[in-house]
Amino acid sequence: MDIFSGLILGFSTATTASNFLYCFLGVLLGTAVGVLPGLGPIATISMLLPFTFGLPVDTALIMLAGIFYGSQYGGSTTAILMNLPGEASSVVTTLDGHEMAKQGKAGRALAAAAIGSFFAGTVGTLFIAISAPLLASFALTFGPAEYFSLIVLGLITSMVLASGSLLTAFGMALLGIILGMIGTDINSGAARYTFGSPNLLDGLDFVVVATGIFGLGDVLANLENERGRVAGVAAVSSLFPTREDWGRMFAPILRGTGLGVLLGVLPGAGVLLASFSAYALEKKVSRRPEEFGKGAIEGVAAPEAANNAAAQTCFIPMLTLGLPGTATMALMIGALVVQGVQPGPEILSQQPALFWGLVVSMWLGNLMLLFLNLPLVGMWAKLISVPYHFLFPVICVFIAIGVYSINNNVFDVYLMALFGVLGYFFKKLGAEPAPLILAMILGPMAEEYLRRTLLISHGDATVFLTSPLSLGTLVVAGLLLLSIVSPRFRKVREEGLQEAD
Amino acid sequence: MKLSQDVLLGLFFTVVGAVSALIATHYPFGTSSRMGPGYFPIIVSSLLVVTGLLVLLRARLASSEPLPVIGWKPLVIVPAAIVIFGLVIEPLGLPLAVLLLTILSATTSVKFRLDWRAFAGSLVFAAFCSVLFVELLGLPVPIVGNWLQAVGSY
Repeated sequence: MDIFSGLILGFSTATTASNFLYCFLGVLLGTAVGVLPGLGPIATISMLLPFTFGLPVDTALIMLAGIFYGSQYGGSTTAILMNLPGEASSVVTTLDGHEMAKQGKAGRALAAAAIGSFFAGTVGTLFIAISAPLLASFALTFGPAEYFSLIVLGLITSMVLASGSLLTAFGMALLGIILGMIGTDINSGAARYTFGSPNLLDGLDFVVVATGIFGLGDVLANLENERGRVAGVAAVSSLFPTREDWGRMFAPILRGTGLGVLLGVLPGAGVLLASFSAYALEKKVSRRPEEFGKGAIEGVAAPEAANNAAAQTCFIPMLTLGLPGTATMALMIGALVVQGVQPGPEILSQQPALFWGLVVSMWLGNLMLLFLNLPLVGMWAKLISVPYHFLFPVICVFIAIGVYSINNNVFDVYLMALFGVLGYFFKKLGAEPAPLILAMILGPMAEEYLRRTLLISHGDATVFLTSPLSLGTLVVAGLLLLSIVSPRFRKVREEGLQEAD
Repeated sequence: MKLSQDVLLGLFFTVVGAVSALIATHYPFGTSSRMGPGYFPIIVSSLLVVTGLLVLLRARLASSEPLPVIGWKPLVIVPAAIVIFGLVIEPLGLPLAVLLLTILSATTSVKFRLDWRAFAGSLVFAAFCSVLFVELLGLPVPIVGNWLQAVGSY
């Protein structure tokens, strides 16, 4: 199927009354929850997951994607108005965005973010429509060795990008792989690490672990510095960028989009790297680098564009290879599996309506964000200023119901409580959980591909180096690891990620 | 050795790795060309033990961040409230479970006062959740739990 007829099929899928409505609902709910301080996309998606149960697969996926964008965008709103980044990738937005807000230019900062995001979203969607079918047909030629190397690359990228030391991140990834092995071994049928409990035979539900670590873990950490939280929300004045703003934002949005589109595809890199490098690039090429950090509109527009472009294109490895590039995408895969869809190269040929419907609804979702967020920004500002002592019991209830509703099993609720406590301690010990989350879903895949590779090659591991594609992937992974040893990169990484804490 | 971030993390990695390696020795290891269910777990667990020991070594060589203060009150009460939610959701039903979880978790806040307004708010919220999740979204959660039904049938 060529791209044009694919897009037409996509439009007819995405614009059915119910899909359109659920896309809108997803964007709206995603933004509403995403603006709440301290709730990043992972917590937002897991809280809103029950809303997608009982929907047909395509509608559920479209709504999930809407929730994802909404929460991303909501996060930037909070970052600008309140100087509270919901997740690491909106940290750079706070640097200049909140500075602008303090100068009474909050509305123009929000508009720059929205316009940048929309433009980047449009380009990102087009990029998916063009490249995903190509990559999917290419991916059908991948053997298990190539898949294994890609997984290794994804895990290494996520470790390099985690804040804190590489050794700690490595340990977290190994821990994630072990957690992923709990349950019945698909190959031999042996029950591993189940401690005789029938509840563990199907493995740990990924969504339960992510909700515990990110949702509950964050609540526990936030409750600690409750007194220290200042609910200073900047007032929003004029939303219209001035003529000068347009001039200053145009090129940064283009550059940010380009960077974001490319970096989003890299497994493990995702949105974080995109927004950081877009900010760094703008600072480097700007004629007024001294204004950065003091309310430069370029410093809002470029990372927001990069952020959103990468948020689109990080769907590519997930949809075409079935490999999640980020912890959020891993959660999306978890949600799809709940729906009975296994993402992979076959999804495009077997369920074209699902794929193209999603692509088109991504663009529609971005359009809705533009028209939803700017007029409603007053409402979002009110939501942000809800005090935390009203908010957190509500969050607890929603995540508890959400986790229970996945399998209607109270065991999952207990597990979530356990992982919430673990998530709190990881935070206290300076261990970032993102590699753990990604490894939990990639680990079992890695084992299966390793097993198949070695079965075909009769136990000869050199096959990873003789396949050119696998070798190339491993070389990239090796270079990434080496780069962290280089003091210059090390300094950039520490600076960039320190601010993310 | 003083308890620091790295000491605790290193111990945690080492212990989890050692325990999971020990368990994995009970699974057939297989050969490289025919990996058994124990093959991958043993490799990964051993790597985790090595990582844990390296983190401990790092703690000895360089001074690691001291252990931050732990806020025990929310750390105990909120997870406990969630476990209670799990215990009562089927016997007592969703509205009561939500009510309990809301009030119990709210007690950890420094701003918590149990007055009629907080209680009324929780009641409204419990009713709202029941309508939203059970009536509108159709989640198979009982509104009236099986214990209450049993009591009601007398």
